[in-house]
Amino acid sequence: MSYFKDIKREAGFIAKQKYRVAFIFAAFLLSVFAVWSGITETQTQQETIERLIAKDHTDRVNVQSHQSDFGSAAYYTFHLTYDEPSPVAFAAMGQRDVYPWKHRVRMLALEGQIYETDADNPELSLVGRFDYAFLISVLMPLFVILLLHDLRSGEREAGRYDLLTVTTSNQKALWLIRAVVQSAALGSAIVIPFVIGAIVNGASALNIALIVGITIAHLALWTAIAYAVSGFKQFASMNSARIASSLLGIWLLITVVIPVAGDNIIKSAVQSPSGGEIVLTQREAVNGAWDLPFSATWDGFLATHPQWADKTEMSSLFEWKWYYAFQQVGDQTAAPLSSSYRDAIKQRDKLASYIAWMSPPMLTQRVMTAIANTNTEAMMTYEAKIREYHADLRQFYYPLLFNDVEFSVDVLEDLPRYTTNSDEAKHTQQ
Amino acid sequence: METIKHIFADEWRYWQRTKLGITVLVIGLLLTLAAVVVNTINIQHAANERTQLQKTAEARFVDQPDRHPHRMVHYGHYVFRAPSQLSTVEPGVDAYTGTSIFLEGHRQNSAMFADQRQSSGMTRFSSLSPSFLLQILAPLFVIIIGFAALTREKEAGTLNIMITQGLPVSQLILGKYLALFCGALLFILPVGIASILATLSGEAALITLGFFVGYCFYMAIWCGVVIGISSLCGKGSASFASLISVWVLLCILVPRIGSSTAAALEPSQGKLEADFAVLEELRKLGDGHNAQDPAFAALKANLLAQYDADDVDELPVNFRGVVAQYSEQKLTDVLNRFAEARMDTELAQTQVSRWFGWLSPTVAIRTFSMTMAGTNIETHHRFLREAETLRFDFVQSLNKVHADHLDYGHDVNRYKNEDTAKAAKVDASHWQVLSSFSFTPDPAAARIQQSLSAATQLLFWVLLTVGLLVVAVRRVKP
Repeated sequence: MSYFKDIKREAGFIAKQKYRVAFIFAAFLLSVFAVWSGITETQTQQETIERLIAKDHTDRVNVQSHQSDFGSAAYYTFHLTYDEPSPVAFAAMGQRDVYPWKHRVRMLALEGQIYETDADNPELSLVGRFDYAFLISVLMPLFVILLLHDLRSGEREAGRYDLLTVTTSNQKALWLIRAVVQSAALGSAIVIPFVIGAIVNGASALNIALIVGITIAHLALWTAIAYAVSGFKQFASMNSARIASSLLGIWLLITVVIPVAGDNIIKSAVQSPSGGEIVLTQREAVNGAWDLPFSATWDGFLATHPQWADKTEMSSLFEWKWYYAFQQVGDQTAAPLSSSYRDAIKQRDKLASYIAWMSPPMLTQRVMTAIANTNTEAMMTYEAKIREYHADLRQFYYPLLFNDVEFSVDVLEDLPRYTTNSDEAKHTQQ
Repeated sequence: METIKHIFADEWRYWQRTKLGITVLVIGLLLTLAAVVVNTINIQHAANERTQLQKTAEARFVDQPDRHPHRMVHYGHYVFRAPSQLSTVEPGVDAYTGTSIFLEGHRQNSAMFADQRQSSGMTRFSSLSPSFLLQILAPLFVIIIGFAALTREKEAGTLNIMITQGLPVSQLILGKYLALFCGALLFILPVGIASILATLSGEAALITLGFFVGYCFYMAIWCGVVIGISSLCGKGSASFASLISVWVLLCILVPRIGSSTAAALEPSQGKLEADFAVLEELRKLGDGHNAQDPAFAALKANLLAQYDADDVDELPVNFRGVVAQYSEQKLTDVLNRFAEARMDTELAQTQVSRWFGWLSPTVAIRTFSMTMAGTNIETHHRFLREAETLRFDFVQSLNKVHADHLDYGHDVNRYKNEDTAKAAKVDASHWQVLSSFSFTPDPAAARIQQSLSAATQLLFWVLLTVGLLVVAVRRVKP
């Protein structure tokens, strides 16, 4: 019970210090803004996807009605793929502004299409968004430093230190309670808008709990750092500002220096083919096919699709089955480069996950984007889904083209549809 | 004057004695220096690589064998955006836009392979670019060095002594201010060197000078804020806490709130969605691959009348080539109209986020710096436009070759057999129509003009801090 009394006293103490109250209120407003702008953004994305689905359907039906053979139907129809923001994406937009979350593909060589980006305004991406994850990972530590750096020295400077220490039953508990009470106030101010936003947005209880848990863990870490640094014996003679400078030094080291140095190390450690090489290779292969004997295309194509070996005779110098076969061969030629390009991204992401253990703010951000499904891995999963869907399209059209099936629009109703399995997408992992 | 000099020297001695000041100065200087060196090497590398890739792309195009000209329209071409000289200091949007575009017939592709997609994702908040260090971290260093400039004298009681001895407060504040400003200049010294290097490698001297002066102003603003608040606060701890709060607000919060606000106020439709409208309009124009498309009936009638012919195979030009030219022209008009609309939306968004320069000098210097360096979104848009001009140029030249140098009869029979296929090709010497591409930022005068509004914002902040200092001079009492 005595702790309860102490807590009450400390709460009263903070409530009397206007600038601390103002400060915590400011943190609350920032959190409200972060949550509001995040929700606005994800709603816009959601609405965009819904509009796109409708437009995509109308457009395809319209195009299909004008076709007279399967080859041109495949050539002229586009198919929408998309990656919906998860219900907690508003809290951590992650890589969604750098990687595409919507894409339209057709049956041509995929390597020539998949790197197209419908990116956001680059100047806004450069500045970065103010989302909840940023508030927690970068700003919250600064708030903790500002609130707690003068935990002891503030009282010393005010001349109350000795009085306080003699009037309290447990010295250590006093400072700890004071630190915890302030952090808890700060934490609640930041977490409450998030929880309300997440409930409104329909996030699962587990995800809300996880993100609140990370927020608390990161807050606890910085409270501990600030508490420890301000309590060092060597620092006892220092004034508040010097203690805060040291804390800022720690913040600078783990928020800026380690990630930047890590990024440079990762860049030089993992070599990647340049993206330009992939598309160039693919282009040379596809365009070169026009000048090569048909056998060159068939050899490459049959290596992966032996079932069509006896259907390769050509009645003219141009047939759609040959056209799509060399599109396939173009992808096959670029495949080694393309997969090592993707492997490099995955490898870099993996190394970054190790380095993040040295930088708690980075770790916080990574865990949050993992929960929100907005990290690099989630974006790579989306790319893999586009590739799968494109392969399905090919599987659908090849029998029609090679077996010379008579054209009918009705057949196209069985076209594979792009589906998102949002349950599967909600897996949470680091 | 003597007094100011004395105070100036005294302040520097204090930083040396207490070690904190001098440590921060050295760390700041080393960080900026390292950033400038690493970035210069990276940019040099990127510049060489992109020039090389550009040459290779051009060589590959003209080295293609004899072909049907329309095959070359689809073979396409690549252009690369060379970095501007000052991107050694201010890389700007470069990492977010992608720096190469594939140009082909009937399509306007977007720039591909933005660096940020290939990065580890650890540099979304911070980066090793000198501009990040100068715009965000340098103010923090200035605060740590200078927050106690006046509160120290107050707390030790020396301020009383100085004033009673007849030292004018204005001289005291000016001396402290100049000392801090000279310290801050150390941080931008590497930028000065990089600017000189940029001038030597061909950037206009007016630009590099203006660029450097802009950063001097930025430092002057922060020194003013620091000295002003230090004068107004009674205690070092209060001064420090206020200054750090101001730093968080101006350097981190306002810019991000600006970009979130811009995205919310001026939502952009996105290329993918706009493309539906584009496709709808394009279908009305007819398919340029199909000369029989009813959309080209009028064109056909006009041509027949003009040459007094009864059928297209009597025309002195290849009708299919004429259709290709005609439809590419129409299609490009539509594509350009949509592309311009999209760029306008992006600019409107950017204007909203730049308006926050009135609320934060960091936004103002960022805009100023990117505009002067030629790494802002307008420069990227110009790259897109120049790439489009080149695309239209070579596609139409190839279509002209198609119309003038390929017989219509051969053309329609191109898929019949090996011989007709051979006859439907033109000589590879025609691939020389491709003109070479080299991208340079806007001329100096244009960039200076563009940066005037950001410069006005910076000047507004300078005036604001002068005002703050004047208030400080009046308010400082023993």
